[in-house]
Amino acid sequence: MILSARGLQVRYGAITAVRGVDIDVAEGEIVALLGANGAGKSTIARAIAGLLPFQGEIAYKGEKLRPNDAERNVRRGIVLVPEGRGILGRMTVEENLAMGIYTRADKSQGIADLKRMQERFPILGQRRHNAASLLSGGEQQLLATARALLSKPRLLLLDEPSLGLAPQATAYLFGVIAETRAEGLSVLLVEQKARQTLKVADRAYLLETGRVVASGAAQKLIEDPVVSDAFLGGRG
Amino acid sequence: MLWQQLVNGLTLGAIYTLLALSFSIVMGILGILNLAIAELFMIGGYFGFTLIAANFPLPVAVLGGMAGAAIAAMLIEKIGYQPLRGAPVVTPMLSTLGFSIILQNVATNFWGSDPLQLPDEYLGRQYTVGPVNIGQMQLIVVGATIVLVTLVAYTVQRTTIGRALRAVAENREVSRLLGVSADRLTLFAFALSGALAGVAGVLIALHYGAITPYLGVEIGLKAVAVMVIGGTTNIWGALLAGPLIGVVEVLTVAYGGSQVRDFVVYGFMILILLLRPQGLLGGARSDQGQRV
Ligand SMILES: Nc1ncnc2c1ncn2[C@@H]1O[C@H](COP(=O)(O)OP(=O)(O)OP(=O)(O)O)[C@@H](O)[C@H]1O
Ligand SMILES: [Mg+2]
Repeated sequence: MILSARGLQVRYGAITAVRGVDIDVAEGEIVALLGANGAGKSTIARAIAGLLPFQGEIAYKGEKLRPNDAERNVRRGIVLVPEGRGILGRMTVEENLAMGIYTRADKSQGIADLKRMQERFPILGQRRHNAASLLSGGEQQLLATARALLSKPRLLLLDEPSLGLAPQATAYLFGVIAETRAEGLSVLLVEQKARQTLKVADRAYLLETGRVVASGAAQKLIEDPVVSDAFLGGRG
Repeated sequence: MLWQQLVNGLTLGAIYTLLALSFSIVMGILGILNLAIAELFMIGGYFGFTLIAANFPLPVAVLGGMAGAAIAAMLIEKIGYQPLRGAPVVTPMLSTLGFSIILQNVATNFWGSDPLQLPDEYLGRQYTVGPVNIGQMQLIVVGATIVLVTLVAYTVQRTTIGRALRAVAENREVSRLLGVSADRLTLFAFALSGALAGVAGVLIALHYGAITPYLGVEIGLKAVAVMVIGGTTNIWGALLAGPLIGVVEVLTVAYGGSQVRDFVVYGFMILILLLRPQGLLGGARSDQGQRV
């Protein structure tokens, strides 16, 4: 397991947003975290990334993570693309990408990777001197994902990457996510669009008010009538 | 006469530019006014002054003033700012006010409240260009300012650490997710800001050939007005506003008398706040907050 959380609990003052959750992600696996608004998905992703204090245990490659250790977690290989994309809108597209190699020791290799990323996603190359805030929502999500990939994550946490994206843009992005698995990356994919997400994921956890209510192989969950009714809006 | 005033105004404006940049760097990253900067400016001046009096060469004195103020700024960050993070912005600002009073006290106790004078030979040569007399020190002040502003601009705009600084300024959380140690960068911002204030202090002491513990209140705080006039959301506004205010101030004194000097500078600031709150170079949105 590259990631295993046990009895994870997160509180915001009096509110307990996550109530004892167990989550595993294996090497090279795409794991989906599904649930309605307010279920606690972002809270889990943010706790793993090191932005929040938490109780319970999160182990990454067997090593216990400390709460609130975000900048060091990036160097360990845990990279979160936050909800809302986290683009630095005042910087250019290229400067955003350059922030992706901030933690890398192999700077010249990093710069080569940055160039390659601009070829892989030509829009990021064409718009490299534009302010990132001028990109469309889909382009910004692509930029955020590319920037995250440049920091060479081993575990990529994506928080609702499809938010506000048209169906084609979502499909394209999920295609990119599926490709990353070929590069040996593990992905925890937080989403609300359950049906589409389960198609790219290997396994999934279904979350309701801070608890896991179902989990298992993505294929199984799609076929499960109970899950289908509760989370996927019935058949079809 | 007018040309002479312009040259003197630009010299003063150079000091304002450095100081306004100093205020602006902290403002841009943390959204707080570090009021102690005015006194770091004074302390930097005293450090430089002391080194000159001890017969160290000028560059050593400048670096000493720079380093002394930078270290003091870092202490202020560690003691007076970091523990208060998360508190409403007025709290750390009050804490910097406390530090500025302490610094002033330290200076009065250590160096006395009477002005200290530089040895005469330090005022340097005068060059005459047409109708204008330019002192060697004026050249040093303006030259050093151009070099420093260029260095700061290069650092902020073109280097990795500058980019990280801008990332923290724009979005602290996102910068952390990119691996930037926001706390370290904050400390760096204080140090950079302190260093600029310190140099400005040494330069003003050289320019006037004297220094008092009230330098911060008399001159340092005016840089806040300069920053506001230039635009708090754009640190490069200081490059325009610094020389502008320097010249306006000198002309005011020359033609209106020194009793209206501060009235004009601070009045200008209030006018800008009323008419163009984003400042001369600020973006269209004044609610946009900090920017580096
Ligand atoms: N900073 C906060 N302070 C207080 N409560 C919070 C905070 N952030 C989230 N919450 C609460 O915690 C619960 C879980 O929120 P979270 O953002 O993790 O949900 P989510 O599953 O990501 O929802 P969405 O799909 O809308 O993004 C919600 O009840 C929310 O109101
Ligand atoms: Mg969320």
